[in-house]
Amino acid sequence: MDDSKTLNLNVRKDFPILSKKILEKKDLIYFDTAASAQKPNTVIDETNDFYKNHYSNVSRGVHTLSVESTFRYEDARKKVQKFLNARSENEIIFTKSATEGINLVAQTFYEKFMQKGDEVILSLIEHHSNLIPWFFLRDKYGVVLKFANIQPSGEIDIDHFNSLFTNKTKIVSLTHLSNVFGTELNEKAIGICKDKNVPILLDGCQSAAHLKIDVQKLGCDFFVFSGHKTYGPAGIGVLYGAENLLSEMPPYQGGGGMIGDVSLEGASYAELPAKYEAGTPPLVEAHGLGIAIDYMNKIGLDNIIEHENEITKYAFNKLNEIDFIEIHGGDNKRNSIISFNIKNVHSHEVSSFLDVEGIAIRAGHHCCQPLMKHLGVNSTARLSFGVYNSLEEVDKFVIALHRCKEFFNK
Amino acid sequence: MNDLINDLYQEIILDHGREPRNFGECEPHNKSADGHNPLCGDNLKLTFLLNDQNIIEDIKFTGEGCAISLASASLMTEKLKGKKIEVAEEIFKDFTNLVSGSDEDLKVLNEEDSLYALKGVGGFPMRVKCATMAWHAFNQALKD
Repeated sequence: MDDSKTLNLNVRKDFPILSKKILEKKDLIYFDTAASAQKPNTVIDETNDFYKNHYSNVSRGVHTLSVESTFRYEDARKKVQKFLNARSENEIIFTKSATEGINLVAQTFYEKFMQKGDEVILSLIEHHSNLIPWFFLRDKYGVVLKFANIQPSGEIDIDHFNSLFTNKTKIVSLTHLSNVFGTELNEKAIGICKDKNVPILLDGCQSAAHLKIDVQKLGCDFFVFSGHKTYGPAGIGVLYGAENLLSEMPPYQGGGGMIGDVSLEGASYAELPAKYEAGTPPLVEAHGLGIAIDYMNKIGLDNIIEHENEITKYAFNKLNEIDFIEIHGGDNKRNSIISFNIKNVHSHEVSSFLDVEGIAIRAGHHCCQPLMKHLGVNSTARLSFGVYNSLEEVDKFVIALHRCKEFFNK
Repeated sequence: MNDLINDLYQEIILDHGREPRNFGECEPHNKSADGHNPLCGDNLKLTFLLNDQNIIEDIKFTGEGCAISLASASLMTEKLKGKKIEVAEEIFKDFTNLVSGSDEDLKVLNEEDSLYALKGVGGFPMRVKCATMAWHAFNQALKD
């Protein structure tokens, strides 16, 4: 390895799990951040501290602990607002997951703005979580779904995408960064939606910790991401929604915290963002997400992105040199994710083999079965990188891959 | 090489994974079921012919999957062909105990059986589903 290219943020020590030995002796190489990121000490310690010293319900009492909890919960919202550069805190809804955010938009946007026969545009590379909520609209209400093709490079075919619009197209929902190819959405797709005045939701699960997000610059109307993929806790997600749309759409779930005034005859609803946060929210997790954002900001998102780009490029070039490796997608720029197969070896075998070497990768269909069908494969192996990975780990991984190939093709 | 990997991928597993036996569709057949692992996308179709003495006269499968799921299906068909249904059910129970690392004593399987080669799956809990997919399809077909 060329030392001059070594770029190390030296943050591995911040993540206690990374000192775990796999099978009692192998150093852990964690290449599965796209499935879920590991957590830095600050997130772990701060969530503990919340339970130990500040915990109560939020926005419901006037006592000290309620104030301390509410402060932390709302402070997390401010951090997310800045992280996404949303115009207002009213545009930041805490959910339990990105999946819940998409379901929320699908259901409530339909209720306000759509009827039978109206159309939604998606694409072939979407995660199941950006397909099934829309399938529900098709099955329940007769909404028509259209799917943009993808090019061999893994990017959406913009001409085909453009051709899908009709005067019945009411909303578009696309992944911002493909969890299989690691390719970023062509910004032309968002431009087309703007030109046609059709709202667009971006699934930002893979982009939120790996690209700089500015929802105003992007021009999206909705953006969802999950806490656990951005070094924060599981059980917390974020929905950004443009205030003009969120304020017109009806509430999603009914319950405590989302009401204005209730009598037995009916109820009025709370203002944004409380309107979409029925029930006691995942308040500690929201705080943990805020701490994770602090952590990323402290290292600097630009540094994180540069670091990951370096590793991704390095790994891509290494894999590309190996004749028994088939990389999915084209040679275009990737962010932190590479999908591949060893020819004639199922991804499960690759993953189990690497596991005993201490290397964690994902194998399977990555919740993208329609895409797998399109690629003509049953499953792929996926490498994904985070702030804690290094070029040395890629070198170890490549050596292990050669041994894996030898083992299964002996 | 790591012992766990050698235990998981014994020669017979790799062999049956590469060249599954009884691969195809049984014609005629009177029992069939689909096996599916929603976590990874692996799938198979199992067909067999049960005669009037409750003996599995012929049994075949098609599908796609990893070496473990293909080898398990292949070895299963070899083992079950010619067996009475009551015996096959005992083998099914034994096999699920074997690969899930259960302490329960095996009744009909022993170390001499080729199926015993799949015992190493117990060291990889996430792969148990790969090994049992064909067997659950078999069990399902009996119920239908």
